[in-house]
Amino acid sequence: MTFDYHEPTSLREAIELGARFGVDGRFLAGGTDLMVQIHRGRLNPRHVVSLQCVPGLDAIEVDGAISLGARVTHRRIETTTDFQGALRALVEGAEVVGGHQVRNVATVGGNIVNASPAADVVVVLLALEARLTSLGPAGERTIALDGFGTAPGVTVLRPNELLTRASFPRLAPRTATAFLKAGRRRAMEISIACVAARLTLDAALERCQDVRIALGAVAPTAMRARSAERYLEGRPLTDEVTREAGRIAATECRPIGDVRASARYRALLVATLVPRVLARCLERIRFHTS
Amino acid sequence: MTRIPLSLIINGQTHEVLAEPHRTLLDVLRTDLGLIGTKENCLEAECGVCTVLLEGAAVNACILLAAQCQGRAILTIEGLAAPGQLHPLQQAFIDHGAVQCGYCIPGMILAAKAYLDENPEPDENGVREALAGNLCRCTGYQRIIEATLSAARALRASPSSACRETAR
Amino acid sequence: MTQVTRIVGRSVPRMDAPGKVTGTALYAADFALPGMLYGRVLRSHEPHARLVRLDTSRAARLPGVRAVITAPDVPDVRYGGSVKDERVLARDRIRFAGQPLAAVAATSPDAAAAALAAIEVVCEPLVPVLDVAAALAPGAPLVHEAWASYTALPILHRDRNVCNRARIVVGDVERGFVEADRIFENRFTTSSVHQGYTEPRAAVAQWDSSGLVTVWSNTQLPFEIQTTLAEILQLPPSKVRIIVPGIGGGFGGKLRIGMEHFAALLAMRTGRPVKVMTTSEEELTAAYPRQPAIVEVKTGVTNDGRLTAREARLWFDTGAFAGSGPGVASVATLMLAGPYRIPNLLLEGFAVYTNKTNFGSFRAPSGPQANFAVESQMDIIADALGLDPLELRLKNIVREGEEGPTGQVLTAVGLEECLRRAADAIGWRDRRPRAGRGKGIACGWWTTTGGSSGVYVKINPDGTVALNTGAAEIGTAALTGAAQVLAEDLGVQLADINVVSADTLSTPYDFGAQGSRTAFAVGNACRAAVADLKRQILALASKHLGVEEHALALREGSVVGEGKRTTLGELARISQASGGGLIAHGTFVAPPTPYDAKRVEGHVYPAFHSPSFHAHAADLSVDAETGEITIHRYVVAQDVGFAVNPAAIEGQIEGGVAQGLGQALSEEIVYENGRVLNANLTDYKMPTTLDVPRVESILVQHPTLVGPFGAKGVGEPPNIEPPAAIANAVASATGVRITTLPITAEKVALALRARAT
Repeated sequence: MTFDYHEPTSLREAIELGARFGVDGRFLAGGTDLMVQIHRGRLNPRHVVSLQCVPGLDAIEVDGAISLGARVTHRRIETTTDFQGALRALVEGAEVVGGHQVRNVATVGGNIVNASPAADVVVVLLALEARLTSLGPAGERTIALDGFGTAPGVTVLRPNELLTRASFPRLAPRTATAFLKAGRRRAMEISIACVAARLTLDAALERCQDVRIALGAVAPTAMRARSAERYLEGRPLTDEVTREAGRIAATECRPIGDVRASARYRALLVATLVPRVLARCLERIRFHTS
Repeated sequence: MTRIPLSLIINGQTHEVLAEPHRTLLDVLRTDLGLIGTKENCLEAECGVCTVLLEGAAVNACILLAAQCQGRAILTIEGLAAPGQLHPLQQAFIDHGAVQCGYCIPGMILAAKAYLDENPEPDENGVREALAGNLCRCTGYQRIIEATLSAARALRASPSSACRETAR
Repeated sequence: MTQVTRIVGRSVPRMDAPGKVTGTALYAADFALPGMLYGRVLRSHEPHARLVRLDTSRAARLPGVRAVITAPDVPDVRYGGSVKDERVLARDRIRFAGQPLAAVAATSPDAAAAALAAIEVVCEPLVPVLDVAAALAPGAPLVHEAWASYTALPILHRDRNVCNRARIVVGDVERGFVEADRIFENRFTTSSVHQGYTEPRAAVAQWDSSGLVTVWSNTQLPFEIQTTLAEILQLPPSKVRIIVPGIGGGFGGKLRIGMEHFAALLAMRTGRPVKVMTTSEEELTAAYPRQPAIVEVKTGVTNDGRLTAREARLWFDTGAFAGSGPGVASVATLMLAGPYRIPNLLLEGFAVYTNKTNFGSFRAPSGPQANFAVESQMDIIADALGLDPLELRLKNIVREGEEGPTGQVLTAVGLEECLRRAADAIGWRDRRPRAGRGKGIACGWWTTTGGSSGVYVKINPDGTVALNTGAAEIGTAALTGAAQVLAEDLGVQLADINVVSADTLSTPYDFGAQGSRTAFAVGNACRAAVADLKRQILALASKHLGVEEHALALREGSVVGEGKRTTLGELARISQASGGGLIAHGTFVAPPTPYDAKRVEGHVYPAFHSPSFHAHAADLSVDAETGEITIHRYVVAQDVGFAVNPAAIEGQIEGGVAQGLGQALSEEIVYENGRVLNANLTDYKMPTTLDVPRVESILVQHPTLVGPFGAKGVGEPPNIEPPAAIANAVASATGVRITTLPITAEKVALALRARAT
């Protein structure tokens, strides 16, 4: 029910506290998940280590590889000028999470380590092939986002490690991204299915040169639709082809039925949203290269 | 349980409180400081009745630890206008019939203020998007949206009407 | 007839708005007293079980815990409005997941929560009765084995798990079906939805040395709570005082006892004031949400669209206790008839016990469920007969002077105007503008609940006026409306009136803020008070000014006549010095609406008083793949009798539609094996700013003889038609008919897919 509160002022101090408390401790960033879990009695940490005074976790870097500090908020992603173009999916993923109050505090890092299969920005980062950097007593290591979450709420991050940033390579030319989600309401929704894509066209702007498709809320973790990706590569992106990609993605996802939606509807949404996301990407590439 | 001393800058005034570290800003505002204009409901950042401004940004006080607010400036509904005066948003909410039971209104007005501070020339969709985190069960939102758009016009016409409190 | 008025009929701002926008308005949830303890309720996890043991010893020893009470600590009383079937705390039998087992009081909310966690519950699970079908099955377990021995309203028709069967019989339905060319039989189901008031239910109780308990609570019905609490505490009602400081929404969810009894019992035990307030989880598992319903409607119709007979049954899941169920089942039968002229009727409403929370009253109780069924079927009929749904309705609606289903004579019937104006506004002629887009219409009627209201009106020595009413202002601006009536009649300004309300010790009796009655009944009581005051004022002024009474008139806070003038303030001062002040007691009780008693059985609500009529029209698109619904326009035409405060009424319509659209599209309390799966506001999905369309309100005015200036009740009706209007528009857009609520995108998408294959 209650805990001790710590407010380290350096990364080093944060790591030390994390190492000392182990499973009894929790890092606090925006608190939009942690505080709710504590309120529902699902988590009961003895120590809460706030990251708000730790410098260096809230940077957005766009020179070379793109990097998002763990404490970058959803609201900042939404309002970052560099993301309004080819990286638009990041904005689209961020702006549909909660209301302004939530997005003002909810962070990228928190979203990743919570390992909810429905985390919208994580699905976008998965399509961007993000790699994560964590810091622990043994130093820094990088971990691919794909495979980072192993089950709902479970990741390969060690209890004494702190996620510091997520980074992904610059986009190739003739590339665009897009994100779409479905929920019962138009706001304040946890996705019942969401899809992100990063699409690169060939020089003729006809065929798919390279594509990454990520799906949310349709498996125990956010997942890549690899069969759909393989199918698309080299193919012209006709409506028929993107629809087939959607059907393939729908067969490779592993949704469950719960209070939010049935497994069947989730698969149907994947089949529908994949072609729509690809169509958006196409439109964006053609718009920007014409 | 150890209590920690906190210095909270609320509505321009510094308040010293002793609070257990797990207590939320909402709880401290309402229970320790008697600032009941900030309302309590879901406690899970879903309804928005506890909205306050933390350094100008709208946040849910129900999921914010009071300890996280040490030394940071907080605006609650009580500080939006000087006693006996109304902020243009408050006036517009009255004039447009945007208030029914009123329980969501302090949070709604503060969320609207945060949005208008950054977007002085909003359109209807922008206002709807900005207030999506504030549930209202009485009004259907229509008059709240109209009031916010009207307050934006009033603020543009007479920016000084809000100066007093933004200076805090 | 045009009435010349100064204050009624105008969209003046509500009187309590300044306090609400500045955060100074006090709600029950805000209320606190020095030394106050925090109470919490331990609730069952099992839907149906034998309670074997509750061990509270460890909880009682925890730091900060001041009291732990269980059933033996509480008077052994069964209470309930129509059937006395409920106890404060479970004694030996648990009847729903969420049922109170124990209550604790502690020095902090955290200590109270820790105490709950430390109570050991031992129970033996029993087979739960999960829904109406299970409850009605032959050999079904009885939710209340001793049902027959319970005290109940004698009028109820009770049988095992059925705690009431209300019936209307008119003519001969079999003959009516023979006269029909076509017979339509359809079945509809609806889910439970929560009122969703933003302020949790809350109560603070304090006992004084005289043995009087005062409870500050956010109830809509302080006088009913006073009676119920007195019964529970085994005290005379005069020893129970209920005060409503302010309410953050009610919508029927705060009619019945909420946290008051727990607060009072814990305060009695500890000798300290105690506050109890619900969590969202408690609200969604153990409050009084709308009853889930199964509705079967069989309607006979001639080929040219004349309705000849209707046989319809509606089964409400009333949960573990009868509560509002028997009454709501009664009202349902009137709603099953609809605002139609049908010569032969057999209509039944059932309230059925199950092992769930006690479903209760939610804004127009029974209205949306029954209306969804009958208005969906009207469109099904129209489609099958190749008729325009609007024309089918116009052909069958009730008209001025005709009979309602139970024989009441209908007057001030504005229904045709509502239908025509709503249809015109939505562009009905082009009701399928393109594939995937369609328009739907639905209409209905509703009551203005009766019951009595009293007010004291006092003139203050400064000429201002105090309106003292037992009704609570629950957010509808009904008391602003009543004050407008008072100001109008008394010749003062609205700003001159101050309202004191909802204190059972000091305010006059009021039947309460329910059934769209507050502005109507309190407004009329004000008119009666003014009539009395005027006599006092004129008599006094006549003496004071030396002018004959008949030559005097009240005007703008003064009495004038023969060139002389005195103010109300001056007269109040004179009266205070000589006669105890200017004060009047005004009362109102709605006259009984005559009906044919032979047509009803088991019925506690056989006629609609000063009924209102309404039509809703929606224009929407459906995404053919995802099933997602986008509402482009929504129009309401409502016969309000007389619009005392048009803006406030439009606000009621906008809010009622928003709530109705929640029930239509997104909201449902989902049960699985007797437990709620979505007991939080993450997964209980109320509409946000981005979900509610603009609502266009058309105020139709066919004045009643009874209401103040002709007004009818307006608060509940807007909640009735949205599910049917949406269902009909979805069918119009897609050809797919959804017969269960909510109409989620998932249901629509899967239905479209099923049709395609």
